[in-house]
Amino acid sequence: MARVVVAMSGGVDSSVAAALVAEAGHEAIGVTMKLLPGSPTGFGCCGSPEDIGDARRVAERLGIRHYVLNFDEVFERSVVDRFVEDYVKQRTPNPCVECNRSVKFGALLRLAEAYDAPKVATGHYARLEEGPNGVRLLRAVDEAKDQSYFLHSLTRGELERVSFPLGEMRKPQVREKARALGLRTADKAESQEICFVPGKDYRGFVRSRAGDEAFKPGDIRDASGRRLGTHEGLPNYTVGQRKGLGLSGGTPYYVTKLDGPSNTLVVGSLEEASSTRFRVGRLSKISGALPRSCRVRIRHRGDLHEAQVEENGPEALVSLAAPANAVTPGQSAVFYQDETVLGGGTIEEVLG
Amino acid sequence: MTRAVYLDHNATTPVRPEVVEAMLPHLREGFGNPNSAHALGQGSRKAIEEARERVAALINADASEIVFTSCGSESDVMAVYGAAQAGFNESAGKRSHVVTTAIEHFAVSGTCRELAARGFEITTLGVDENALVSPESVSGAISERTSLVTVMTANNEIGTIQPVAEIAAICRARGVLFHTDAVQGVGKIPVDVRALGVDMLAFSGHKINAPKGVGGLFVRKGVRLAQLIAGKQESSRRGGTENTASIVGLGVAAELARKDLDAHAASLAALRDRLEAGALSLDGVRRTGNPALRLPGTAHLCFQGIDGHQLVVGLDLDGICVSSGPACHSGATELSHVLKAMRVPDEWGKGALRVSLGWGTTEEDVERFLASLKKVLGKLRQSATI
Repeated sequence: MARVVVAMSGGVDSSVAAALVAEAGHEAIGVTMKLLPGSPTGFGCCGSPEDIGDARRVAERLGIRHYVLNFDEVFERSVVDRFVEDYVKQRTPNPCVECNRSVKFGALLRLAEAYDAPKVATGHYARLEEGPNGVRLLRAVDEAKDQSYFLHSLTRGELERVSFPLGEMRKPQVREKARALGLRTADKAESQEICFVPGKDYRGFVRSRAGDEAFKPGDIRDASGRRLGTHEGLPNYTVGQRKGLGLSGGTPYYVTKLDGPSNTLVVGSLEEASSTRFRVGRLSKISGALPRSCRVRIRHRGDLHEAQVEENGPEALVSLAAPANAVTPGQSAVFYQDETVLGGGTIEEVLG
Repeated sequence: MTRAVYLDHNATTPVRPEVVEAMLPHLREGFGNPNSAHALGQGSRKAIEEARERVAALINADASEIVFTSCGSESDVMAVYGAAQAGFNESAGKRSHVVTTAIEHFAVSGTCRELAARGFEITTLGVDENALVSPESVSGAISERTSLVTVMTANNEIGTIQPVAEIAAICRARGVLFHTDAVQGVGKIPVDVRALGVDMLAFSGHKINAPKGVGGLFVRKGVRLAQLIAGKQESSRRGGTENTASIVGLGVAAELARKDLDAHAASLAALRDRLEAGALSLDGVRRTGNPALRLPGTAHLCFQGIDGHQLVVGLDLDGICVSSGPACHSGATELSHVLKAMRVPDEWGKGALRVSLGWGTTEEDVERFLASLKKVLGKLRQSATI
């Protein structure tokens, strides 16, 4: 009987993941990760204070052991600090990617190994498939729930020690399974907020961490340099944003660029907010070199764009076959071939 | 899976079979209300008074000075709140000062916070690096407004035993009531309320192999306390129908503890020393607390750069029950208030492990613990370096 650590957030997905691991005859060990100092887990996706109790009760129901373990220091360092830093540097971060990389499939995976658990299971919607060249990461069967985008940074070695029991299931089936097992989380609402940001106010959170100096007002200009208004600090905005710019006029303006050195918010037409070429950093690859042409996703659940990829050490240059709206520095670019995730990285710079 | 090794006796203890046997008749046919006039009630009353005698004998009190409660925490609240409030009332508000320490159990510290919220002045004394409270600091803190001093007998985390007799003597000389939370001391070390000279002393059943849900407070004759639970029971000190079966269990446990107290303490200390020596032979391990003045069954270790709770979980997965601090704090990796008060550095204090031995602990348990500790610690250190 293999020991499997199951990351249980107190939501329905990880509850059912735990149930499936136990049903498969493994020794399931439920672990709820305490990510924030003070509150037991988090505010949103990773559990509000009540979620810890739900995870515990589900584990009791399933007859598996459950522990609450503290990961607040690594979470703070690798996810929260980086999140704030990204906004201050005019980037729009992707904390779930960072959390998967450093916390769930970093610190937790290492701890599981210390506990003689060869595998860690989570409630992520993604599939793993053993092939002749090792394990492959595939999109989930449930397209609407697919979370493979957030998992692109896992190495093959890490993927070999991971299990995603929900990859073949659709969300309604997961809820049905939870109901059939009498799990209290069966009808629990989804939460989409950032788990460490109270409410949905990420701007207030960044300001509380980075201070008012990160929110200096500046000019809003178009590409020709014409001044259109005043912005309230660059961390308030993201590329492609249309609402909340405070600009009146006929044609709608979109944010095209956050220019840090001049503290300028550059806006333009929808065409101007679209780009075809960008540079990707922190490149990670699951199965060796990337093919010259593949498809790329530039935001969670976004379109799959046809692309040419030119690898350059830890970086890659990506050229899209057709312009994509709002290519946003800080977001992940994830490469796919059909169902398979090839790897990905962070969008560093939009080139045109 | 083999039997789990239980080394968490400061959290709670197994109920001894003699205790269970003595309790059963009172959960079955002997269910009478001890306050009833009929024979069934009289049977329960007799059993409770016998238990009171037994508990009194363990701490050299008079049976009339023992008040049964629901737990050690209730006993502490009864003493601290009861004495502070009574002192305030009887002095027409002039006495509104309580002296306590930074290492008390939450039952005491939480009550002091509550008193502070109601306008009392609380002085919280610090401790030295071994968690010892100095009698001089107690003396210095007492003023004419002081009604009560409360200092625990033995610390639940690290086991340090306080100079209770000295502190009690100071309090008596200054005309101030003295309470001690002796939940971890009674039944493990000799506790004699006359020799100590205390006015109140709290104890608990489940720390000495009786069940949970019963405890008691020694209240010296003549000490007046404001009542927490109104009612005529327990000499009008604590209302509520007595928990006959558990009180009987506590009585039997007290007698068992008294009979072989010294021999048991000596054998536990020997096992504890062996365990400690084994643990200290590993790298990056430190002992916390005063090596001389401490409970015989308690070992407190700090592991440099380790998350104590992760260590506890790893040991549990290996069949070893221990804790990283008081049971009430599980899950957190923050430094306990006791280690903070002792100014233990973070890199050591976060890796705290409390190993507490008790009735039934064997040499084999100690060896199994040491083997697991070595294995789990090695793996955690390895995973931390990746």
